[in-house]
Amino acid sequence: MRRGLSYSMLGMVAVLSCSSILYAQTAAPPTDQRKAPAKRESAPAPIHDLTGVWMMHNSPGSQRGFTNYTFTKDPPELTPWGEAKYREAKPSNGGEFTLQTTNDPVLTRCDPPGVPRVYFHPYPFEFVHTPKYTLMLYEYDHMVRRIYTDGRPIPKDPDLLWMGTSVGHWEGDTTLVVDTVGLNDKTWVDRLGHPHSDQLHVIERFRRVNKDHMELDFIIEDSKALAKAWTATWYYELKPTWELGEISCSGDYLDFSNFEK
Amino acid sequence: MKAKFLMCFALVVGSFFSFPLFAHHGTAAYDTKNVVTVRGTMTEFRFINPHVQLFFDVKNEKGEVEKWQAELTAPNKMTRAGWDKHRLKPGDSITASGYVAKNDAHTMWITKLIGPDGEDLRLRED
Repeated sequence: MRRGLSYSMLGMVAVLSCSSILYAQTAAPPTDQRKAPAKRESAPAPIHDLTGVWMMHNSPGSQRGFTNYTFTKDPPELTPWGEAKYREAKPSNGGEFTLQTTNDPVLTRCDPPGVPRVYFHPYPFEFVHTPKYTLMLYEYDHMVRRIYTDGRPIPKDPDLLWMGTSVGHWEGDTTLVVDTVGLNDKTWVDRLGHPHSDQLHVIERFRRVNKDHMELDFIIEDSKALAKAWTATWYYELKPTWELGEISCSGDYLDFSNFEK
Repeated sequence: MKAKFLMCFALVVGSFFSFPLFAHHGTAAYDTKNVVTVRGTMTEFRFINPHVQLFFDVKNEKGEVEKWQAELTAPNKMTRAGWDKHRLKPGDSITASGYVAKNDAHTMWITKLIGPDGEDLRLRED
């Protein structure tokens, strides 16, 4: 029988080799925020400059359960409209559904993930500054956001787009504040399927605490879907040697025959 | 012990390997409470989007050849872990550990991989 109990030494080796990882993860207390990794020595942050490739770098103890799928351990406070929409979600990432039964818009149609769900893809992103805007290049599916920093206001009646319309400004020397509106309501806020409406307003505060580390505060507001703002902080590390590669949502991404045979 | 067919339930509970190995499609189809280990011979290696695929033959306890398919994480992440499309080739002996599909198909989500030279292959990009 394929799943019979084994007495192989290999299994024991596997257990022993994983023991330190087990300890590291179970030792961490539960937290409502992604826990900050231990600070390491680093040069000061440069002024008004986030250039480079950044990768999520939350502490190992926080990488269990909710943190891979949603923002906080406690669920967001939804409006009745939001609750009804959330009940329609059939998530596979963090949920009980499979690729055959999920209605995740990314996994079933390769819909763009939107903001802020784009951050749940476990791939890096890159900042490129220009005089009038900052580009955010996400490795996942070649996603690009153009964050205008030329002083224009947030549009009051924006067209509805998959990744929204973003404007940004610097607060002090090292914090870029980005406001995003005009997001269509076809995307999920996270991988669990928490919904949003076209009233979604996402504020990202990219705080470069030193040369190698950045903290990202999310403030997620949606008067139609959320009873109160949903907030979280994630942690990122500069990856000077990394280059963005390709991970494309495409036919092979959706080809379920490659998985779960 | 039947030499070419190693399989075990490791005495661990939960998905203790870190999340970057997790596939984009979720865990529901896999038995993530148990780690299974098999030794096999590579028949095909696909370094492809969205997940790197391994195909290999495993001899079971009856001496019969079973066709297995397994996946690693995305090729962009595997590139940063030092891999390329030539890292494995048909004929290579491997020992793969990971989670198998709940439907008993010979499909594995690899969490640990020993290569043909006995090397514990790096599966993480950092």
